[in-house]
Amino acid sequence: MNDVAQAVRLARVDLTLVFRNRTAFVNAVLLPLLIAGALASNGVGEGTAGIPGTQYVMTGMMAFILVFATFMNLAGFYTSRREEMVLKRLLGGPATRTAILGGSALGATAVYLGQVIILCVLMSAAMGTSAPADILLLLLAALLGAAFFSLLAMAVSGLSSTGEMAQIATLPVVLLLVGGSPVMLPPEMLPPALRTAIEFLPMTPIVETMRTAYLGLDYIGAGHEPLGPLERWGAALPSLGLLAVWIAVAALLARAFFRWDPRRG
Amino acid sequence: MTTDVRETAVALDVAIAATELRQRYGEFEAVRGVSLTVRRGELFALLGTNGAGKTTTMEVLEGYRPATSGTVQVLGIDPYRRRRALSPRVGIMLQENGFLSDLTVAETIGLWRDLHANARSLDESLELAGLADKARVRVRQLSGGQKRRLDLVLSIIGRPEVVFLDEPTTGMDPEARRTTWGLIRDLVTDGTTILLTTHYLEEAEHLASRLAVMHEGEIRVEGTLEEVVGRHGDRVSFRLPPEIPLDALPLIGGHTPGVALAGGTPVVTYTIAGGDQATRAHEALVPLFAWAAERGVALERLAVRTASLEDVFHSVVKESA
Repeated sequence: MNDVAQAVRLARVDLTLVFRNRTAFVNAVLLPLLIAGALASNGVGEGTAGIPGTQYVMTGMMAFILVFATFMNLAGFYTSRREEMVLKRLLGGPATRTAILGGSALGATAVYLGQVIILCVLMSAAMGTSAPADILLLLLAALLGAAFFSLLAMAVSGLSSTGEMAQIATLPVVLLLVGGSPVMLPPEMLPPALRTAIEFLPMTPIVETMRTAYLGLDYIGAGHEPLGPLERWGAALPSLGLLAVWIAVAALLARAFFRWDPRRG
Repeated sequence: MTTDVRETAVALDVAIAATELRQRYGEFEAVRGVSLTVRRGELFALLGTNGAGKTTTMEVLEGYRPATSGTVQVLGIDPYRRRRALSPRVGIMLQENGFLSDLTVAETIGLWRDLHANARSLDESLELAGLADKARVRVRQLSGGQKRRLDLVLSIIGRPEVVFLDEPTTGMDPEARRTTWGLIRDLVTDGTTILLTTHYLEEAEHLASRLAVMHEGEIRVEGTLEEVVGRHGDRVSFRLPPEIPLDALPLIGGHTPGVALAGGTPVVTYTIAGGDQATRAHEALVPLFAWAAERGVALERLAVRTASLEDVFHSVVKESA
């Protein structure tokens, strides 16, 4: 088995376990959908940045729910498995480091993509929007976002001594990244100094690219005008570049902080 | 030229080799210059107290960490730098199980089978683990001994040439331990090389072709069971006759007696070391009987035995205490 086949096999195990473990199921699968649903239905009627509030919030939620499966839950998985010697045990077999860590990240990404599909279906069925304008761009932003948060989850797990501690340690990061992004509120509503700072935080390019890809309107620039296929990719390019930089930063953090040996004894 | 050929032949015969292995964690040196060679098809047992450096030595040989200094090779390959090349040929069982405990036994075996290229079948694995009737049970519900047995089977599921077993029978009842010994012996019969650590001295006595006792990061004693025990001397003991004062006891073959209380009675023990291992106990008894006859005393509870592995182990630990 090569790395990819091993990672896919391990991802399958992780998916089984997410649905088998009640805490993981609630935290990673159910909660994000409930939160997205609740927040989106709250914004019904009000117009935001040129579109109905629900559409704005729902497209923001598609990016926001990354933090559940691919960050909070994943950081907990990595940590508890390290402490229970699962990671070290796997490493003693034929699976490579990349396959073991990538497998869990892949499983978490699959959960997240499933949730994005559910949100897309909800939006087009219950909220009267059309299907995503640019599925490929939407998928790319989702995958890059998942890669960023998975790497960050590895870094956080290295600094935590239990799965629960790791989940708690993700909270301030989540608050900073979500607060510092146009998930719920259009950046136009913020003071200019803050707006510039937020533009460079990692959640912003994920949210803006996904929103632009879904609605086909420019939410990366300030104009929100309709964009053609090439224009969408052209507009998204700087965001994707910024995201690539953040992925590299997260990879360095993961490399510096992730550990295979338990922290205890 | 001939030397070269012979060296190659020796190298091919060696499965595990460590030379002057040292492992340091910060200020603490856990392994202090260990050299050992395990030939193909051999079962080598590494004994020692907790903290003697056994597990650290194993982890370096398993490729989990690079040696601080010294060289290690498994099947002629550096286990840390070339893990990928080596891992299909090696099986590892750690001291702790490391299961995904929400998976069932069959799912756990299934995962490990899929990760290996040429794995044993599910049925064979369940059979070897003695868990044929537990296939659908979650791993967390198994007993400690059952988990060890499953872990052992996972480590050999890919038919490895070399197997590292770190305390494989911990937590097993005596019956399960016997069955596991049988499984390990079958592996050796099939030509598998095994390096095993254990706290159970009788486990080493039953299984090991060769063994070493580690203490404070060093190998203190090494050899076959017979050699190790033989070097340690034979024991001749009897109750101290009441009418004989301590200083009247004879030297036997130059050996002085030791006296210890056993159940309130003083017991004399001679440790007969050196000389011909096969005949030295007999040779010691001849002057002893002559002395007893001369004094007109009977040697009550007279016992002659070779040293046990336990004697060797305790003397290694005591030496440095």
